[in-house]
Amino acid sequence: MLKIENLHVSVEGKEILRGINLEINAGEVHAIMGPNGSGKSTLSYILAGREGYDITEGRVLFHGKDLLEMSVEERAWAGVFLAFQYPVEVPGVSNIYFLKAALNGIRKFNDLAELDAMDFIAMVKGKMKELDMDEKFLYRAVNEGFSGGEKKRNEILQMSVLEPSLCVLDETDSGLDIDALKIVSEGVNRLRDSSRAFILVTHYQRLLDYIKPDFVHVLAHGKVVKSGGPELALELEEKGYSWVDEKLAS
Amino acid sequence: MSASELSKTHYAELITASNEHLMGGELPWLTSVREKAGEAFAGEGFPTPREEEWRYTNVSALEKNQFSLATQAGTVDADFLKQVLLDDCHHLVFVDGFYQAELSSLADLPEGVIVSALSDGLAAHEELIKSLLDSVIEAPDRGFINFNTALFSDGALIAIDENTNVDKPIQLAFIASSAAALSLSNVRNLIVAKAGSKASIIETFDACESNCYLSNVVSEVVVEPNANLQHSRVQEESSAAYHIAGVYTRLERNAIFAQYNYTFGASLSRAEIHANLGEAADCRLDGLYVGQDRQHMDNHTRVNHAQPHAISNESYKGVLADRSRGVFQGRIIVAEDAQKTDAKMSNRNLLLSDRAEADSKPQLEIYADDVKCAHGVTVGQLDEKAIFYLRSRGADEQTAKNMLTFAFANEMVEHISFKPLQMRVLDALLLRFPQAGMKKEWL
Repeated sequence: MLKIENLHVSVEGKEILRGINLEINAGEVHAIMGPNGSGKSTLSYILAGREGYDITEGRVLFHGKDLLEMSVEERAWAGVFLAFQYPVEVPGVSNIYFLKAALNGIRKFNDLAELDAMDFIAMVKGKMKELDMDEKFLYRAVNEGFSGGEKKRNEILQMSVLEPSLCVLDETDSGLDIDALKIVSEGVNRLRDSSRAFILVTHYQRLLDYIKPDFVHVLAHGKVVKSGGPELALELEEKGYSWVDEKLAS
Repeated sequence: MSASELSKTHYAELITASNEHLMGGELPWLTSVREKAGEAFAGEGFPTPREEEWRYTNVSALEKNQFSLATQAGTVDADFLKQVLLDDCHHLVFVDGFYQAELSSLADLPEGVIVSALSDGLAAHEELIKSLLDSVIEAPDRGFINFNTALFSDGALIAIDENTNVDKPIQLAFIASSAAALSLSNVRNLIVAKAGSKASIIETFDACESNCYLSNVVSEVVVEPNANLQHSRVQEESSAAYHIAGVYTRLERNAIFAQYNYTFGASLSRAEIHANLGEAADCRLDGLYVGQDRQHMDNHTRVNHAQPHAISNESYKGVLADRSRGVFQGRIIVAEDAQKTDAKMSNRNLLLSDRAEADSKPQLEIYADDVKCAHGVTVGQLDEKAIFYLRSRGADEQTAKNMLTFAFANEMVEHISFKPLQMRVLDALLLRFPQAGMKKEWL
């Protein structure tokens, strides 16, 4: 589904990603772990198409197409979804209106008819219930005045409404208490199926207790320095990121 | 002879030639009022950018046009009229400045309420008109007011009787017909809400075609003690037109007045919204201006706290695209005796292009010492992070920008309690900032 080949990315002349290679297939869950400044968030933003990065080398293929050539919205239409580390507040745009505009944009691209308003609301309300979200959030401005946990839940709500094929979760566990973490993880687990892939970008192993990855990659200094199964996350948790640095040095 | 002097002559001559043909030309008192205004205009002419209050708005193009006076109403087709008239309202319809009785509807007005065209009301309510005309205006520059007084062809007379509640809003629909090209119309509205009464008045300005013309309208409003009056304006003149308007209001003791001012149309527009506040009066002035292409939109407010304990709350928002320009000058005056005044004013602007411009100038003159006055001005652009966020969810770039723009403007629309008016303003907004695949009823 997703193939990242020798990806080099700089910001204002400073190289942040230095030759990333990753292959992710449908149905898989990949965790990308690494210390602060390792380039984890940059990788997430590159996949979503944020501006301000110089891609100096390499390519990214999504379903065989050049992802880096696509605009931000084209990626969303094609099935890429980034759950933001810091979801943006959008004053004046209600959640329900926002969700509807987003879903219709995607449906239009895929030659599907707009959802009927009643069906849409029923569908969204069902998903909110699963995420233990109060219906009043539908009529509030997107993320405005939401607590950290509410914002993260709102990201997962959007993800479950838009049903992307590639879900990138950037530090989704940060700012979540244990109950919220469980709810969010259950939301993600419900979406796991054979046609969908996940990239979990996280600093801590904690999230992986709830969302079991198939593969774990350790990112350091802009490179994948180690890949393995779920046991790698536990090893990291135990030994800390300095262990990675030591390994790199040796 | 300069263009400005030439046109002063043109318009001064036009005033001299027109006087006896105008409404009420047989009444010596009215003729005398008009003559005085005409003479004052002949001396001063239209204001120029040399005057402080007109620094940002140059009306010399208007002088060059040498408009002629509309002498009769053109025709307006039924479909257009249907779009203009709001549901659940009483309607007074004026075309090219002339009252159209057959297009108006005034059924079921409460007893004691006068809603009529000035031309129709002159015989029955001459004293009332005489007492209201030019009774409220306190403006430093009177060029357009004098011009209006000298030449007004008609307008509305509205008097709400004491302790009377008019449930349905009264719409004053001013329409420029296709015959309006290169003409000018002057309309004068006289409005009094007597003690303890309550009413809502909506002025709308529309054009059948995109002609160039001048529409110059003055509304004088008196809100008597304990009365509650809402006054709204929706300006959707032709994109080639000039629209000069003034709403001059006197609020008496404990009066409540709210003015909502929506500007979408005209090539160049200027609105003067003035309020003179009596003791413990409550005044709200809200405005939204949405400029595109090379539109120039100027809003001037003047709130005079003449008495103690009054509250004023003023909020204007501007959305300026392309090469449009928005001007806001808000003056708050707090007289020496006006202790315990609470006055707020804000003007926020959103620039959608590098070539759009916002000029904002709040002016506070405070002569009392125990008062609360706050004001704030912002000029900003769309939030890039929010645009990225919306796009990352599948809204295309233009839709994302439109959604954010709409959200900024909608703050001035969502509180409109009268649904037909709210839908009308929403339509005007969505026409300018369409949201892909979205429908109005989902908002």
